[in-house]
Amino acid sequence: MKGKILVVDDDNIIIRSCKGVLEPMGYDVSGTINPREALELIRDNDYDLLITDMIMPGIDGFELIKRTKELKPDTTVIAMTGYSIKETIKDTLEYGIMDYLQKPFSPNILADTVDRVTNLARKLKSQLAITEEDDVDGTHKIEAVNALIKQYKTVPGSLITVLSKTQEIIGYLPPAIQRLIAKGLRIPVSEVHSVVSFYPCYTMKVRGRHNIRVCIGAACYAKKADSIVQKLCNHLHFDEDNVTDDKKFSYELVRCLGACASAPVIEVDHDTHGTVDPDKITEILKDYN
Amino acid sequence: MPQITADDLKNIKAVYKDPRQRGARASIMLCGGSSCSTRGSLKLKETFEKELKQRNLDSEVSIYVTGCNGFCTQSPLLTLYPGGIFYESLTPEDIIQIIEQHILKGEHYSKSLYSTGKDSIAAFSDIPFFKFQTSRVLKNRGLTDPDNIDDYIGGNGYFALLKAVTETEPSAIISELKASGLRGRGGGGFPTGLKWEICKKAGSSPNNRNKYVICNAGPISRNISDTDPHSIVEGMAIAARATGASKGYIYIREPEHRFIISRMNHAVAKAKEYGLLGTKIFGTDFDFDIEVATGAGTFICGEETALISSLEGTRGFPKPKPPYPAVRGLWGKPTIVDNAETFANVPLIILNGANWFRSVGTEKSPGTKIFTLTGEVINNGLIEVPMGTTLRSIVNDLGGGMKKKRKLKAIHIGGPTGGFIPESLLDTPATFEDIVKAGAIVGSGNIIVMDDNTCMVNTAMFSMEFAKGESCGKCSPCRIGTTVMYDKLVDITEGRGKPGDIEILQDIAFEVKRTSLCGLGQTSPLAVLTTIKYFRDEYEKHINEKWCPTGRCKALTTFNIDEKACKGCTSCARKCPVGAITGEKKQPHKIDQTICIKCRTCFETCTFGSIRILGQQTGTREA
Ligand SMILES: Cc1cc2nc3c(=O)[nH]c(=O)nc-3n(C[C@H](O)[C@H](O)[C@H](O)COP(=O)(O)O)c2cc1C
Ligand code: FES
Repeated sequence: MKGKILVVDDDNIIIRSCKGVLEPMGYDVSGTINPREALELIRDNDYDLLITDMIMPGIDGFELIKRTKELKPDTTVIAMTGYSIKETIKDTLEYGIMDYLQKPFSPNILADTVDRVTNLARKLKSQLAITEEDDVDGTHKIEAVNALIKQYKTVPGSLITVLSKTQEIIGYLPPAIQRLIAKGLRIPVSEVHSVVSFYPCYTMKVRGRHNIRVCIGAACYAKKADSIVQKLCNHLHFDEDNVTDDKKFSYELVRCLGACASAPVIEVDHDTHGTVDPDKITEILKDYN
Repeated sequence: MPQITADDLKNIKAVYKDPRQRGARASIMLCGGSSCSTRGSLKLKETFEKELKQRNLDSEVSIYVTGCNGFCTQSPLLTLYPGGIFYESLTPEDIIQIIEQHILKGEHYSKSLYSTGKDSIAAFSDIPFFKFQTSRVLKNRGLTDPDNIDDYIGGNGYFALLKAVTETEPSAIISELKASGLRGRGGGGFPTGLKWEICKKAGSSPNNRNKYVICNAGPISRNISDTDPHSIVEGMAIAARATGASKGYIYIREPEHRFIISRMNHAVAKAKEYGLLGTKIFGTDFDFDIEVATGAGTFICGEETALISSLEGTRGFPKPKPPYPAVRGLWGKPTIVDNAETFANVPLIILNGANWFRSVGTEKSPGTKIFTLTGEVINNGLIEVPMGTTLRSIVNDLGGGMKKKRKLKAIHIGGPTGGFIPESLLDTPATFEDIVKAGAIVGSGNIIVMDDNTCMVNTAMFSMEFAKGESCGKCSPCRIGTTVMYDKLVDITEGRGKPGDIEILQDIAFEVKRTSLCGLGQTSPLAVLTTIKYFRDEYEKHINEKWCPTGRCKALTTFNIDEKACKGCTSCARKCPVGAITGEKKQPHKIDQTICIKCRTCFETCTFGSIRILGQQTGTREA
């Protein structure tokens, strides 16, 4: 199942057509025409996504969303509206609405929007979990970055050094940090971003606690580095950012680690492992906790 | 320590005791290179210390942890003196046995000796892998602790700098280098003396000290930084003296190479502490300082102008040449960019002279060259051989021949953007010009030996995938050309090849090579050009017969069992990961094509040669 969805609309046809589109896609869809009943359902179930009409008799959409967020703050919301989207966009941001469906909408638009929103929500949730976890020393990390900027402010050509050291402190380079650095070093944000996106060492995504670098350079490729990747992916479950669910491991593919004589080579954190037998990959990873 | 003087330097050398002779009974040189240390060499050291103490031998046996020995596939390893006996693939239990049998009884512990398969070889210098090498740049490997500057000085280190600073005029340094014929080891083979001369002359006033010396320490230089970092520092300082530069950078492309970064940082810090870097070196008015700088990955930053862009803190885009960096480089100032191996050769030339340098190698490519030997040969590792050694000798003598007696098909040389040299040209001497004549480049000095299981079309496709991924995107021939070639090769390997594709590939490759801005685009088409030149029939089989004879291109392959040859030994059926092979014992087996995932396991397992690789689906052709 891809997710649990509740559709609320005073028009039964809408509910039926949502079910018709979303159920074959693998979603579990329930619906009701009564907002009060909707609140009871939300209280008793854990929905991933609420799709609600905004104008309904009794409790209207805004009220429903507000109460939903009180009951289950994690629920993601898509609002359906007959009005032009622009007019309501400001109000509804405050209510934590993730996206809109403007009536009438085609099955394609419905499918796309729901897929996009559920994916986004999943990602945000995992990032949120990390930042919350790290928040204890979050401010202290930002302070370290600020100190770094101060140190290198007057050194020409120091952007790469600052970015590398920042990544070491924070683990990745999210847009907010890039802006911070740009401002500190008096460089346009676009330039910082162009450098970050140019070099493969920089990542804008969260990495696992242990980063595995599998070399797929010429020598390692000739020695079947691809089966290492395959074995790794069979053994651990990686998401689309190549991070495991528990954030313990992440992996990336690199070109030549400079240890070609002992190909195939992988690096786990900062240890180089040469002549790796794909079948023994689990043994190597055992030492990392 | 205060500023070192010539006398101090001589003193350090005089009192230095070779670690091979430090133990009264035995001296152990334990490899602590990156490969050995990840495989537990430090654990071995602990075992040694504990066990020796228990036997009251700790005062008679010395243990010295050295830098990388170079024979990394056999790690963890050690050599034991006197005798230089080589022990490999060690475990703590082996250490106890070495103490009991070798140190106490004086017998070789045969289990851990190097074995050729037939017999074992005890002495390090008799092992073919070492016997055929000429150690110059790597003379200290396995013998010194790279983090110990006194070890380096003990082996004549920094005496070349002393000579260059106190006895030799800058112009004389350059003439010596020009006479030696040293050519850049970073791949291009540009005469180093000439480059330095251009840099010396560049810049307005003769005393303009705003020049830079940069060591291009990409992954391929990992070996020298790993074994002898001070040779790079010394070479750079001599370059600075020759050209009049005052500041140097050691540019390490991969910030993840902490091992190398910390080793270089340590070496630089030590040299500074000794006053071998800094101001008033050896009491003269020569000042020179080095900083270790890290890049942020990406292959293109190995190109010298891209490297400079990266040092300036921007995207690593190459720039058109001329002007060459020797005239206008970092921050617009004359800059020398040289490979680490090039720098490491310089002190040797200054100390021993150009004639000595020319005593090995060829007329046009004198001296030695470091290669990394890998692939389907028995011995893999880092080798230093006189230039002009034939590829055949590298494969057979140093490499020990092919694994499992397979047939050699081609050699990939020059790193990811290099070319392929077929079996028939194996007598090509490894020199800059001969390898280029054969269609490849010396490049990073990486030699990958490929056996007859390799599909050349598939390999060319991999090279293009690399080139396409690493192309920085600045010039269109490289950016678009590599992608178009890659797409064509994918088509061919997946059965969509059309007659005429070979010619199109050749034309594009030729143009990309001719018109690209930098070395990446100028060399990456070599993979396509050389595979077509030497293995055209393989391309034709892929295109015309929809058949990949090696079974690597899955879309062009079906595996079948020859019923007449099959002995029914069941070993393929047992190995098949998806259970596609069925059959009774002693009866011919069958492969279910609907289940087969074409992983080649059965082909590699069968010892009777009864697995046939046929063409796409219909299976009309036979291997
Ligand atoms: C794509 C590309 C990658 C390169 N990578 C390296 C490298 O990793 N190390 C290196 O020394 N030279 C590398 N070079 C060669 C350098 O551009 C330059 O020629 C060399 O550093 C000059 O030093 P040398 O004269 O001592 O050989 C590369 C060139 C290209 C085009
Ligand atoms: S190709 Fe993998 S280490 Fe060089």
